[in-house]
Formats: sequence, structure tokens, C-alpha cells
Amino acid sequence: MNGWIPVLCVLVPLLGACALPFAGKRSPKIRNALALALVAAAFAFSLASLPAALAGEPLAVRVKLPLGLSFGLVADALAVFMALTSSLVAAVIVIYSFGYVREYDNQNEYYMMVVLFIGAMMGLVHTTNLIFLYMFWELSAVCCWRLIGFYREEIAVARANKAYFVTVAGALVMLAGFLGIYAQTGTFDLEAMKGFPLPAWAVVLILFGILSKSATFPLHSWLPDAGVAPSPVTSLLHAAVLVKIGVFAYARLFVGTFVIPEIFALAVPVIAALSALLSAGLALRANDIKRVIAYSTVSQLAFILLGISSGTEEGFVGGLLYILAHAVAKGGLFLCAGIVEHSVHTKDITKMGGLAKRFPLTAIAFALCAASVMGIPPFSGFFAKYLVIDGMLAAGHPLLAAVFIIGAVMTVLYLARLFAKVFLGPPAFPDAKEGTSGMVASVVALAALALLLGLAINLPGSLAALIWEAM
Amino acid sequence: MFKTICALLGDPVNPMISMCALPVAGGVLACLSRGRSRGALRMAVALLFGAANLVFALSLYLGGGASGALALGVQGLELRLAVSGIAALMLPFAGLLFLIVAVYAASWFHKREGGGAYMLLLFISLGMLNGALMADNLGVLLFFWEGLLCTLFGLLLIGRRENSKAAVKALALSGTADLILMLGILATARLAGSASMSEIAARPLSADGPGALGCACMLLGAMGKAGAMPFHSWIPEAASDAPAPFLAAFPGSLEKIAGIYLATRIVTDLYEFAPGSPMSLFVMVAGAVTLFFGVAMALIQKDMRRLLSYHAISQVGYMLLGIGTGLPVGIAGGVFHMMNNALYKTGLFVAAGAIEDQTGTTDLHKLGGLRRAMPVTAACFFVCALSIAGVPGTNGFFSKELIFDAALESGTIFYVAALAGAFMTAASFLKLGGAAFFSEARLPQGRRNIREARLGILIPAVLLAALCVLFGAYNALPLQTLIGPALGDAHIHAGWPENGTLVLLSSAVLLLALADHVYGRKKGGGALAAADHIHYAPGIKQAYALAERGLLDPYNWLMAAANGFSAACAWIEGGVTWFYDKAVPGLVTGTGQTLRRFWNGSVSRYLIIAVAGVACICLIFLLAALGEVAP
Repeated sequence: MNGWIPVLCVLVPLLGACALPFAGKRSPKIRNALALALVAAAFAFSLASLPAALAGEPLAVRVKLPLGLSFGLVADALAVFMALTSSLVAAVIVIYSFGYVREYDNQNEYYMMVVLFIGAMMGLVHTTNLIFLYMFWELSAVCCWRLIGFYREEIAVARANKAYFVTVAGALVMLAGFLGIYAQTGTFDLEAMKGFPLPAWAVVLILFGILSKSATFPLHSWLPDAGVAPSPVTSLLHAAVLVKIGVFAYARLFVGTFVIPEIFALAVPVIAALSALLSAGLALRANDIKRVIAYSTVSQLAFILLGISSGTEEGFVGGLLYILAHAVAKGGLFLCAGIVEHSVHTKDITKMGGLAKRFPLTAIAFALCAASVMGIPPFSGFFAKYLVIDGMLAAGHPLLAAVFIIGAVMTVLYLARLFAKVFLGPPAFPDAKEGTSGMVASVVALAALALLLGLAINLPGSLAALIWEAM
Repeated sequence: MFKTICALLGDPVNPMISMCALPVAGGVLACLSRGRSRGALRMAVALLFGAANLVFALSLYLGGGASGALALGVQGLELRLAVSGIAALMLPFAGLLFLIVAVYAASWFHKREGGGAYMLLLFISLGMLNGALMADNLGVLLFFWEGLLCTLFGLLLIGRRENSKAAVKALALSGTADLILMLGILATARLAGSASMSEIAARPLSADGPGALGCACMLLGAMGKAGAMPFHSWIPEAASDAPAPFLAAFPGSLEKIAGIYLATRIVTDLYEFAPGSPMSLFVMVAGAVTLFFGVAMALIQKDMRRLLSYHAISQVGYMLLGIGTGLPVGIAGGVFHMMNNALYKTGLFVAAGAIEDQTGTTDLHKLGGLRRAMPVTAACFFVCALSIAGVPGTNGFFSKELIFDAALESGTIFYVAALAGAFMTAASFLKLGGAAFFSEARLPQGRRNIREARLGILIPAVLLAALCVLFGAYNALPLQTLIGPALGDAHIHAGWPENGTLVLLSSAVLLLALADHVYGRKKGGGALAAADHIHYAPGIKQAYALAERGLLDPYNWLMAAANGFSAACAWIEGGVTWFYDKAVPGLVTGTGQTLRRFWNGSVSRYLIIAVAGVACICLIFLLAALGEVAP
């Protein structure tokens, strides 16, 4: 019976999402409550899978299908870690959305896509099969496409198309890699392929998909452009959840399942270093509040990739903690940006200033989340950054570690600049009003979470260590 | 219940944990104080919690140190605290200074806004500093170290949201230093195979070869916290309008304690730091540059706060120069100078704050003749000024002489730089003292009369001045009783300096500074203009002009480098965007349009295309078949 928990974790949001438009026709309130309940259910089911995952006997369901195919869902420690992180941040974002999107059209579709996306994410992290991984991957891309184009303006649609095409093109190349593996192994089942030495060409093809989804240079360009989406969408997709799919896939496939050639232990960190520095440089220059945070996301994702690909325990654990810390903090930053943008009707930071006086709670939440992204203790980001750089040194790459220190210095610079331009200085909007209480409560909750996770880092830390051991 | 409390106090970990947690609780209490009696409540909290912290620190020091651990559950990070040697000495010293600056702050903010937030952050800073001093694990040290950065940023924003430049500058410069320290710590821990300082100290690493990265980066981190060049330029910026107690507490004392403590641990415990080695040279050069250029900038300032802030930078240079020599006499001198500096520099900042509190200004153009109106403040100021100038018999003199001794042994150039620094220090304090206390009495606009400072400000000033006198009159106490055993240094550095020639030279330099002051005063027409003949001397004038325009500010260099890099990134990004937004859509639409030309309704054309297609497929099959037959 317990084996059905991961199935419910995936199916409840996936199927429930389809009911949201009907609920919305009856009453927006019911729809909103249902949307939150579905995401909360995903979190609750993930939480229910945690004890078994910690005990090393993960809950699982496997169904044999014809043609050597199979369908399986397993709630191992990595899946539970990702599911908990995604659904927790998503739940906060859904609460925030109640205030943010209430005055716009297409709300039924909005909530449906958000919950469907979470369902796809749940499927993706739990699946044991490459083809289903690909299907959930593409489902998430479709949701992302609809959500970026939420406002239906020409520019929003064009940017949504760009995001869709880049990620889908990457996914198709990845699919070619999967088919190549199938040709050699005769199976798509990840557990059956454990320890299989992957040829370099297959790794390159799959990496294409991973890097495009995780917006790593030079496949990152869609992410800053996707800032035209409503802020909760940007937060959900481009900070908290969607972009983590790529790094998750790296962990699942290249660390947990296949054996990849040695060269990638250096090549991937080098790509990550390049991506981290370049995007940090761009974040320092951008004047659009969401673009700054989006470039920062590209930069921080490179840190995560660095940790996960370092091949060391410290780096891997740091990378996983980074996923959590970044999801919470960056999600918070985007939501804060949303409150600002929603109120002052501009995204141009050169026109802002002195908002700390009008938006005190948002300013504090922003500062706390920024401190976590900068890697300042006692926030969770500190431990993550520390371990990632330690991992790089443990892997014998002091030069790369130094490059990432430069990236971290630039993180401090662009976030300090952003905070100063938006919240400090002479007041530019003396009559601006802070968002609804739900919106403000959401950002405060995420900031508090960033702090609490730092103070209780041993909880996610021991789970991450367990994941490494299971690899 | 009683047994539980005894058990808790008996465990060495608990007093140490308390020293991190108790200040936070005190800060919260001070912050929550509301209503009319909030000033008194804050003072009570400052006294009570400051004294409790001092008692804990003294109990650890007198008890010979302690160690213990709490597992954090994260790879390699264990909350291992250990108090011994220099850390055990620094804890009560920091506690004493904290008590003084907390009382001063409570008094200063008595009728001012922002006191609650200030006290909260000040107390949290103490918790962080205690943690950094007690940390045995380098990762835990970094944790507390960077925590100090957070409180620093917050303190600089209090009441100054509209002018955040100093806060942002401090965050950028200190943040950079802290990240460099992170790299240094990780490299050190990797090389040693352990992040425990006591384990590394048992087998110190070589500072050359593979150890160079870790050692240099850790030293840079320590310099950053102490406010040495090139991480210094936020201090004068903050001096312009940060609350006076901030200057006394941070650039004045607490940050120096942290930075110099770490530098000392690196040199004495973690690395084999050979005198004359490249690493030693690196630290000495940093020290000499900091002391020389810091005091050179102080000399031309016309605002009391800014003048003192540049001295706060230059004094770190002496400490680093001493420690950087790697010689026992230099290290002892560096640590002693840090302690002395914390006393007299805090005293000077407190005195400056008292003047500001009474006159409403620190602009030396508007001040004068204060010795009559504020005699106690003036007396405290002069004791501290004589100490910082290194007048024979004062505590500053003894520590400087130890550093001079070590500097001369390490290289004449360092000694000359230190002497030049001493000359300018004396000259700038003659100017400051003359302008503020001795010139004709002046009252800033809107002030009718000026009275002596409040008791809450005077008591800290008197205490600090008295400690300066004590450390000078009886230097065996700090040198022989406190510092020597803490450093495990059996040499006796106490008493009158051994090298009489150096004393003579130092005295000559002081006399020269006095003569220069008299000359400058006559030439410039007053004490305030006494250094103008140096400021506007040909060649020097241009250098000062460059410095005043910010062209020599490392922060501006950092930002220029970052902006230059950023522009290069934007250029690359332009190419990437062009590829996605123009090239790919252009290719797709172009191909579509080309193919459309074939769609003209001609049956013969379609037939040709179909036949060509079939021919291609046949060819592929044929090649495949041949390929199979061939082997």
C-alpha cells in the first residue's frame, strides 16, 4: 500500500490540475484553495515518503510494459529531497499568487499550469525510466511556455516561444542521447543501467538537454528574457523549480546511474565557471530588476552544477544544499521583485530608490534572501557555497575554486548594488504601497526559511549526505 | 534543578556557547526597550550583559582555557570551540572594550533615534566576535567572521538609508576579503587534512609552495577585517556620518581585535612563518604601505572623524608590520600595539564623540579652545594622543619600539617607512589637538555655550585613558603577564627598550614633528593649517589631489574592473542574443522562403524532386548493402 505514496505524489497534482479550470468556473476561491491543496498534497506525500527513504528502503512502484519498457516511480532520498524542496517553495508561491494574479485574465489556466508543472516535476524526480523522464521534462516545458506567455502581449509570447524552443531543442538532443543508450543497453530503466559506462557522445547529447534546462551558458539566453512573465511564475520556474531540473538530471544520471568519462569531471566545471562569471558580469550591468535576479540565477546554477559535477562528497552535498538554499532565497528575491514591480509599475532600478521606507518587510526579506544567495552565515547559502568550493579543492582544482570565489565576489557586488538602488537612497515613490498581506507574508516566510534552514542545516545536510552514500 | 545548573556550568562547552548566545539575548532586550526609560534600560542591559560576558571571558582565561564540541551534522563542520593562548587573552580584552563601548553607545543614543537597532547589532557583533575568537574549526571561524560582516552592514545603514554608499562599500570590500578568506581556509584545511586549528597547530604547514595559496588568502582575510589596505576605504566613508559609537566600536577596536587575532594565529600557529620568507615580505609590505599611506591621508584631513579614521587604518599597518616580520619581538609588538591601539583609538573616538555631542560638529574649522569648556575630555584626549604618537613612556611608545626593532632587523626600508609614519602621526595629532583644544575659543553656529560631556560618555573616556597610562607605566603587565604567556614567548620584552639608539631616533622624529608643526603653524597662520606646507608641496600636492578624487581608492578599482568585465560580458551576450533572436529565426524563415520558390505548380519539377529523392534512398541502401558484404 505504501508504494502508492509516490504514485499519489505524482498523480494528485497532475490529475487535480485538470480539475482547476472547472473549479474556477464555479468560484475562484475554491479554485485557489484547491490549487494550494494539490501542491500541499504533493509536499505531504513527499514528507510521507521521507522516513522510508531515510531508512534506505525507498517506497517504489514498478510496472512492466511491452517492448522492454517499464514504468516505475521510486521515492529514494534524492527524489524526496527534490520533491520536498520544489513543493514547499511552490506552495509559498501559490499563496503569493492569490494576491498577485487576481486582477489578470486567464487565471484558470494559470493555476492549472502551475499545479500541472508541479505534477510534472514530481513525476520527473520520482521516475525510474528515461522515456518517462523525457515526457515529464517536455510537460514541464509546455507549462513553462504557457506561463511565460501569461500576459499574451506580443513580446511575452515571443519570449515564451524562445524559452520553449531552446529547452525543447535541448530536450530533443537529449532524447537522441537516450535512444543511443537504449540501442546499447536495450532498456530505458535507470536501475537496470546502474554502473553502465556511458560513451562521451551520449554524455554530450544529454548534457545539451541539461544545460539548456538549467540555463547554463551559452544555452542560458531564454532565462533572462523570460522575465516578462508574472513574478510568481518567474520565481517558480526560473528560480525555484524548473531550472533545478537540469542539475537534478545531472545528479540522477551522471552521478547516480551512469559512469561517465573522466574528462567531464573537468569539462563540466569549466563550463560552469564560464557561465558563473559571465552571468555575474551581466547581472552587474542590467537595470531591469528581474533581469538582474535572472542572471544571478544563471550564475548560481553554475555553482550548483560545479558542486554536483565535482565528483567529491563535499561538492555533491554542497550542490544539493545549494539547490535547496537557492530555491528558497532566489524564490524569495523574485517574489520581492514582484511586490516592487506590482506596486511601482516599473522594472527599471534606475528609476527606483528609497523603497525600504515604504516596503519595510519586503526590504528586510529581500536583504535576508540576498544574504543567503551571497553565502553569508548563518543563512543556508553559506554552508552550500562553503561545501561547493571545498568540493572543488577536494577534486584538486584550486584554480576553479578561485574563479568561483571571483564569481562569489561579483554576487556580493551585484546584489548589494540591486538592494541599494531599489531600497536605499532618496525615496522615488513616496506613495507606493506594499503588496497584499498574503504576498508580504510569503516573502517573509521564505526569508525566515532561508535563515531557519541555515540554523538547522544538519537536517537537509544529513539527507544530502545520505543521498551521496546511496549513489 | 540546582544539579542541572551545576552540570551545565561544569561543562566547558556551555560558558562558551553562552558567550555567543548571551550577547544576542542582551541585544534583543536592549532593542525591545521602549518608552521614556528606554535609555536607562539600555544602559542597564549594556552594563549587565557586558559585565556577564566579561565574567565568562575572565573565567575562561583564568581557568586556563577550555574546549568542547557540538556536531553540526554537515560535512567537516563541527562546532568545535577551543579557548587557549592568544584567544583566551583576546576574549576578556574584547569583553572589556565591549563593556566600555556599550556603555558609551547607550549614553550616546540616550536621546537619539536608532539606539535600539544599534544596540541589537552591537550585541550580536559581540556574539560573533566571541564565536570567531573561540572557534577551533576554521569553517566555524568563517561562519562567525562573516556574521560580523552582516552586522557591520546593518550598523552602517542605521539612520542612513538615503546615503548608503559607506554600507555598500563596506559590504563589497569586506565581503571580498571574507570570500578570499573562505578560499584560504578551505585550501589550508585541504592541505592539512583537517579544519581544526589545534590539530593544524600541532603540525604547522609550510607557508611556501603549496601552502602559499592558503596562507596568503587567510592573511588577506585577516587584513580585510582589520581594515588594512586595500580593504580600508569604507572606513573614511563611514567616518563622515556613521554614529560616533560605531566608529569607537568597529574601526576603533572590535574589528582590529578580530583581524589581528587571526593574523597572529596564522603566523604563530597555523603556518611555519619564517622571517625573511616571501610570505613575511608580503605581510610587511602590506603593513608598511598601509601605515604610510593611511597616515599620509590623515595628515591633511580637516574633519576630526575623518582624521581619526585614517589613523585607524594606519595603525593596523604597524601591527601587520610587526607580525609580518615573523620575529618574536615583532609579533609581541604587533599584538601589544593592537591592544594599545584599541585603548587609545577607542578613547580618541569617544572624545571626538563627546565633542560632537556638545558642539554638534566635528569640522575643525568650526572648533577651537575646547580645553577650557571640556577639560576632562581634553585630558583624556591628550593622554590618548600622546600614546598614539608614541611619546616615550606611553604605552604606544613601548609597542612601537618593539615593532621598530623588528622592522629594522627585517629591512631598513621598513624601519624608515615606520619612522616616517611616526613623524606624520605626531604631526597630525599636534594639528588636531592644537586646532580643537588650543586655538582661540570658537562656537559653532547656533551654540551659546559648551559644557563638559555627559557622565555616560566621560566615564568610558577616562577609563580608556587610565588603561593607556597603566599599560605605559607598567608595561610588564601587558607584555610579561598577558601577551608573553599567551604567545608562548619566553623572551622578556617588558621594561625600557633595549636598543637606546632606536629610542633616540624615535625621539628625534617626534621633536622634528614638533618643529615642523611650529613652522607650519607660523606659515599657515594657525594649528589647522600646520600641515598645509606638506599638503601643498610641489609633487605631493598632485598625489593628494589624485587620492582625494578617489583615483587611488581600491574600491573604485574593484568596481572599474568589475564594470570592465561586465562590459565584455555584455558584448559576448550580444552575440549570443543575436544568435537566438536573429540568426536562428533568420535561418528558419530564410530556408522556408527558399523552399517556397520550388512550390510553383510545375509537375515536371515535382517529378524531378521525387525521382532525386528515390535515387538518394536507393543509394543509401546500396551503400549499406555494400558495407555489409565488404568484410
